[in-house]
Amino acid sequence: MANNIKLSHMSHWKTVPYKQIDNFRDYYYEDKSNACYYQDWDRILRYHKATGYDGIELAPWDLAEILGLFGTPAEFTAFAKDHGIEVSGMFHGCDDSHIPEKHDEVVAAGKAAVDTLKAFGGKHLNTCPGNNFYGNGPLDDAGLRTIASCLDEIGAYAEANGIQIGIHNEFFCVTNKENHRQLIELTDPRCVHYCLDTAQVVLMGDDVIDFYETYKDRICTFHWKDTADLGVPDEIRYAKDVEICDDGHRWFWEPGEGLLPMEELWKHVAAYGFKGWVTIEDDGSPDYLAAMALSSYYMKQVLGKIYW
Amino acid sequence: MKYCFSTEVVDLDNQAPNRNKRESKYFWDELNHLMAAGGFTRIEIPYEPKWDFGGRSGIPRTLRSVTTKWETCEKYLAFLKENGIDGIDCVHLNPSLFCQGMLPVYFGASGHYGEEAIQFAAEMGCKSVTLSVTPPYFRVKALLGGEIREEEFLKETKALVEKLAASAKEKGLTLCLKNEFWGLLRGDKITAFLNELEGDVKLDLDTANLRIAGADVKAVLEANKGRIGIVHFTDTNFVDTDETWKTALPEFPAKRPTKVFTDLGEGSVDFAGIKAALEAAGYDGPVVLSPRNSNDISRSILRTAWFVKNL
Repeated sequence: MANNIKLSHMSHWKTVPYKQIDNFRDYYYEDKSNACYYQDWDRILRYHKATGYDGIELAPWDLAEILGLFGTPAEFTAFAKDHGIEVSGMFHGCDDSHIPEKHDEVVAAGKAAVDTLKAFGGKHLNTCPGNNFYGNGPLDDAGLRTIASCLDEIGAYAEANGIQIGIHNEFFCVTNKENHRQLIELTDPRCVHYCLDTAQVVLMGDDVIDFYETYKDRICTFHWKDTADLGVPDEIRYAKDVEICDDGHRWFWEPGEGLLPMEELWKHVAAYGFKGWVTIEDDGSPDYLAAMALSSYYMKQVLGKIYW
Repeated sequence: MKYCFSTEVVDLDNQAPNRNKRESKYFWDELNHLMAAGGFTRIEIPYEPKWDFGGRSGIPRTLRSVTTKWETCEKYLAFLKENGIDGIDCVHLNPSLFCQGMLPVYFGASGHYGEEAIQFAAEMGCKSVTLSVTPPYFRVKALLGGEIREEEFLKETKALVEKLAASAKEKGLTLCLKNEFWGLLRGDKITAFLNELEGDVKLDLDTANLRIAGADVKAVLEANKGRIGIVHFTDTNFVDTDETWKTALPEFPAKRPTKVFTDLGEGSVDFAGIKAALEAAGYDGPVVLSPRNSNDISRSILRTAWFVKNL
């Protein structure tokens, strides 16, 4: 395989409470279940390497525990490197970015996230541009410009520190079907990039192929995942607390398990000659180890035959 | 003994296979049937605003969640009754979540969500609301810039507790204090703190937490006879030989991974002796059954039913 693509995995494992379990056999015998297989970073990182990943994208809500276990970002990064894994990036949320009075606070939080990611040695700060639509949308042009100004400032700071911020829109986000492209146009292409979450864009009702072709120059990385819901109605996307469904319905599936035209999209990625990190995001899976393996197989054995 | 079952049996914080379904409402709806089938018709709810921030209102652990899904607490209580749960005896707030950033933020958020938990408990018809009296030692130390200034922290804690106790009293509730083994008031240190408080504040006697902290549970009970507000039966085999209580994740001993808490009956706490001591002390309030080895929730419910049957 060629080496244009590096495969990462977004860390949706909830708190991993141990750095390393040395007494694995004894610990297993305490309840003779598979729980101990999912409780230390040593094994979680081994699973990344064993299933074909080169990187991990960190979740900011895990940082307090990670730093508690490792002491410093550099210690975690070195530990991951020992397992053959790099930190590819980190997620970040720009809550309240549409509120002018919150501008300085939002930018400060964004810059702090850049500093954190830099300390972990990552590259991509994949950034949700704002709050949920419910309770905040629809936005007018002024609201969009307020978000864009936050992103521009964080982006400029990021570029100066070797980090790329990429807008990561969610299907329930305040910037949505009607204006998410407008937000991209309002931001500075020199320092605000785009993280294409393949499922989120389709859930919003956009055409992922057309979106890619339109913004391929801005797309710096991907959250690659599938969905079986092509265009979720406004009344659902704009409702309260829609990310997790009451009945257990899943918005997201492992690549190849949903309905997205993955191979067609990948051919466009190949034609453009994209080089860089592609991150599998399997939120919603009941079994992350199986999801990691399934996703990696699809990326390398199905899409990898087209381009890698 | 009047037993109630803690829905803290569901661990949302730590990774486990099939953990994600625990964020959907259907999981919690069915949990009521499982608890009722195990013979438990009264429950405790851990009050966890953490899930509000992510819009996880399928998890019925806050006022926001319950009012999002059922409009009012009254309607939620009616739903519980239709599904085998007669009522809620206790609401527990652990404010450790807010122990980050700056000291005023911790006390401000703890006060805000403490008031909210009290309102929730009152609307749910509880008699008691219980508060983890301090966050873990490690977190407090980090919050204070790496130096434990215990006197200063406990002085502000006292003011917080007294204010919440007054609010609880206004709503006909009793505020109780839980002193986990990882906190600043671990073990029998809680007794002196309670002695200094103004207002009606009682002890939440948590068996495993007291034992891990090295306290004699029956001695703590004797020292606080007359002000036991709620009892938590928790079990353990853990002996803290290397100050695990001071570490970043004290319920997960870094040097020697093990289950700090077990399901009830799987550990070595002397429940028969503690039960007899509670009866001798005239305690007639609820005893919250809290199995804490919760990777298999249905198994934990049935293990607890077996434990009660054989106690």
